[in-house]
Amino acid sequence: MKLDQRLQVKQISLVSVILLIWVVFMGRLIYLQIMEYETYSPISEKNSLRQIPVTAPRGLIYDRNGVILVENEPIFTISITPINFDTLKIGLLSELLSIPEQEIRDGVDAAKKYSWHRPSRLIKEINFDQFSLIEENSWQLPGIGYQIESKRNYPSGILAAHTIGYLREASPQELMTDPQLRPGDKVGKSGIETTYEVELRGTPGLEMIRVNALGQSLSTFSTGSSSLLPKHGADLIVTIDAELQGFLERLMEGKKGAAVAMNPKSGEILALVSAPQYDLTELAGRINQTYWTEINRDTLTPLFNRAVSSRQPPGSTVKPLMGIIGQQMGLIDPYKMMYNPGVYIRGRQYRDLAPPGDYDLKKSIQFSSNTYYFAMMDQIATSRRLNEWAGYMRDFGLGVRTGVDLPAEVQGVVPDSLVMNRTFGARRWGIGDLINLGVGQGLFSVSPLQLARAISVIANGGYRVEPHVVKFIRVNETQWQNQTPDPVKIEWLKPKYLTPVIEGMQAVIEQGNARYLLRIPEIAVAGKTGTAQNPTGQDHGWFTAFAPVEDPQIVVAVLMENGGFGSVSAGPVGSLLIEYYLKGETTRPHVLQHLKTYVPPPVKSEEVE
Amino acid sequence: MFNIKEFRWSLVFLWASLTVIGLVAIYSATQGPVSQFLPASIQQNFDKQVVFVAISIALIFIVQFISPRFFEDGAYLFYGVTLILMIFTLFFGVEVNGARSWLRIGGINFQMSELMKVTTLLAAANYLTSQRNVSASNLRHSLTVTALFIIPIGLLLLQNDTGTALIFVGVLPFMLYWSGLPNTLTLLIVLAVLVGYMSLFNITAGLVTLFLFLILFFFLQREKRMVWIGLIIGIIVIIAVEVGMEHVLRPHQKARIEAFINPESDPQGAGWNVLQAKTAIGSGGITGKGFMQGTQTQLRFLPEQWTDFIFCVIGEEFGFLGSGMVITLFFLLFLNLVSMATSHNHPFAQLVMIGILSVFFIHFLINIGSAMGLLPVIGIPLPFVSYGGSSFLVNSLLIGIVLNLNLYERSFSIYR
Repeated sequence: MKLDQRLQVKQISLVSVILLIWVVFMGRLIYLQIMEYETYSPISEKNSLRQIPVTAPRGLIYDRNGVILVENEPIFTISITPINFDTLKIGLLSELLSIPEQEIRDGVDAAKKYSWHRPSRLIKEINFDQFSLIEENSWQLPGIGYQIESKRNYPSGILAAHTIGYLREASPQELMTDPQLRPGDKVGKSGIETTYEVELRGTPGLEMIRVNALGQSLSTFSTGSSSLLPKHGADLIVTIDAELQGFLERLMEGKKGAAVAMNPKSGEILALVSAPQYDLTELAGRINQTYWTEINRDTLTPLFNRAVSSRQPPGSTVKPLMGIIGQQMGLIDPYKMMYNPGVYIRGRQYRDLAPPGDYDLKKSIQFSSNTYYFAMMDQIATSRRLNEWAGYMRDFGLGVRTGVDLPAEVQGVVPDSLVMNRTFGARRWGIGDLINLGVGQGLFSVSPLQLARAISVIANGGYRVEPHVVKFIRVNETQWQNQTPDPVKIEWLKPKYLTPVIEGMQAVIEQGNARYLLRIPEIAVAGKTGTAQNPTGQDHGWFTAFAPVEDPQIVVAVLMENGGFGSVSAGPVGSLLIEYYLKGETTRPHVLQHLKTYVPPPVKSEEVE
Repeated sequence: MFNIKEFRWSLVFLWASLTVIGLVAIYSATQGPVSQFLPASIQQNFDKQVVFVAISIALIFIVQFISPRFFEDGAYLFYGVTLILMIFTLFFGVEVNGARSWLRIGGINFQMSELMKVTTLLAAANYLTSQRNVSASNLRHSLTVTALFIIPIGLLLLQNDTGTALIFVGVLPFMLYWSGLPNTLTLLIVLAVLVGYMSLFNITAGLVTLFLFLILFFFLQREKRMVWIGLIIGIIVIIAVEVGMEHVLRPHQKARIEAFINPESDPQGAGWNVLQAKTAIGSGGITGKGFMQGTQTQLRFLPEQWTDFIFCVIGEEFGFLGSGMVITLFFLLFLNLVSMATSHNHPFAQLVMIGILSVFFIHFLINIGSAMGLLPVIGIPLPFVSYGGSSFLVNSLLIGIVLNLNLYERSFSIYR
């Protein structure tokens, strides 16, 4: 019986152990599957659901007549989810894509830095054949996916590089500050691509997809998870006239400088060229590194937008403005003659190359006599009214930013006592430093766009317009946002001030020395040439004009760097531009010929025109 | 010679139930939507398993016509032959998943260690019941049996198959206990196991367990000497675990234990399996996500889901009802084996049955314990449920042997 008893003890202890384990395991099951179900169910759900950001198509850009300037073209991008990627496959990838292994390795490292679990772009802009190869081999490339993205395409045949601008990959700082951006996303870096970045970009969508543990997406295993569709970026309708822009680009070919054509009544920029230009096509999609380095190193700085970012002394082109301000300040009677002996003496001699004789305001503009303006500035300086004068100049939009919707705009300088103090030291400047401001030299500096804006005031009868490039933001078919700012009336400016000035400017074109190049048959043009003194080389040539005088439709401002006299360097460009805009053609082959063959004289021109 | 009324249909029913559940789970784990992510060789696993089930049915059937004397008389011979084959495997075997424990026979890989389990327990049972005065209550005899186990364990470690070695380690105490190992020694073994398990978490847990055990000892045995021995053994175990963790275990083994203690510390590495397994089971809820509907299973978040983590497939797709049923079926299987062993009138048959019970039990404990995050992940199949030809054949052979011993119970008594 003792044996049986011992057997029973063994049986009971074994059954106890088995029962204990059964209880422990069942308890654990109840804990995991019933009590902790709420914890694990979402984890398993999140495990296999991936939110794939879908980049919204970037907005398109049209010119004022509906010509498409910028569109999107599909490109294939290979993406990588580092956690699922086997670095041993870099060789295979390199082979399939014919891209050096090191480049892929760098891309993988960059992706790891961003996130191990979220897909990043690895190789951008591969062609369809390479894309197909990757797709065929996707089974042996876990962690590798693809995206269909787009790159900018410029089908219109015009460059307009500085106005449109290029895209580049978002910088680390931009990625940190803008949660919408992912590495590899491109953002506008110049032109309206950057000023309207937010509007053009749209809202990225989210696609919810099922993925397996290797990050491979599944089409068959859908549970109908909702996706968030990307919102197309807004289209821009710009004020640029593609045809005029193209014409201007041809005129500026091989030159160094800038030209702006604007509607003087609304501030709509019709054409804007900064020469030399660069080719946006080379910077679209996968960037052409050679080209990028080349334009960055070019001493002619093609990336620099001279139309808004360069500032030069306006030279004689300020004389019309001086005529108006002089009348307002009571310094001149526009119809009273004043004698010009050929030199203005005030402490030292200030030269005047205009023929000696009697000058009224109109004549002083026509012949660009300096004496008339030296005298005016002398009075301003003597009566300590410099700041009043500078205030009037700012009313024309000089020395203040135009507010144009292009990046990197300069303010320019209209010297007032503050500027003079800062430059020379408090009270360490005198009349001698101010007199040449009257002829737009010295510390005075403006951008071509600022000059166009100031001359517009004369053309439109006293309104300060805000230059702009974008006319409408088209959010969708029905929602168009008008971007045209209202012109501001300059209250003090009386119409009678304008008459002698416009007459003088018209005489510059009709009767001036350069009338052979500047006159346009059947169109009344008012304009002014100028030369900006350049201490480091040949002077810069200026030309500004508007037409037709009866009802101005276009104002132009042209700067030719190191072009010498404005009448022969910048003038022909402005004149041809006005004619082409108003007539749709060029009737003066001799002017075109002149422009093509014009080489500025090696010696410095005189400081007068 | 045998009485068909003695045939244990309940055991056959439990075997068949677990086998069918296994086939369903393997089907889902390899033929479901997940199949598109699996290599072709894995996709064939279901078909292969069906073939092995068919062979096993035949095997169980054939075994019923063998005289039980065959197992008893041949025990040492089988043991010796399989040992030689194990050594052979060590040198000429095929390496799978880092373990050189497979022998290629006629184009089929066979895991020799599976067969080793059968012959070792037969040999041990035979030795312990060979003469009336031989039993585990005698220390020398216990050590002899231990040696019978140590040899294959050593070979398995050389083959780099730690998981299977652990099964042998686990089976030995069960057989010794049944054969009459003194209670104090049994308690010391239980103490060592529990203190060792708790020390995995931290030293304090190990010490607390040891302390509680010693109090229990004192009241159970009333013998101060045992308390001291228990204390020494306990401290040795704690030190062994700590030193072993730092210096003996290979980095991947250490990582597995660390992942078991705190899976969140390395969720993408060693902790991945633990987290994904728990997530699969936990997200199954009461009724499960449905056959071939488990996202963890079908989207390949589970490693080795047709073998080591098959329980997670069941837990995810069939929920508490399915996985609870599997645990309960095993529970019934074990109770069945205990009752068969207890009621059997021949010590050899008893001990063989207890050995077989402990083989199944240790597999069950480690496999499901790993899957539910109660034990470190050790790659061990779940008997009858996991995919694996050698494992399924041998486990079925063991069922066949139990049935045979039971069927021939009366003829046993004639011999003795």
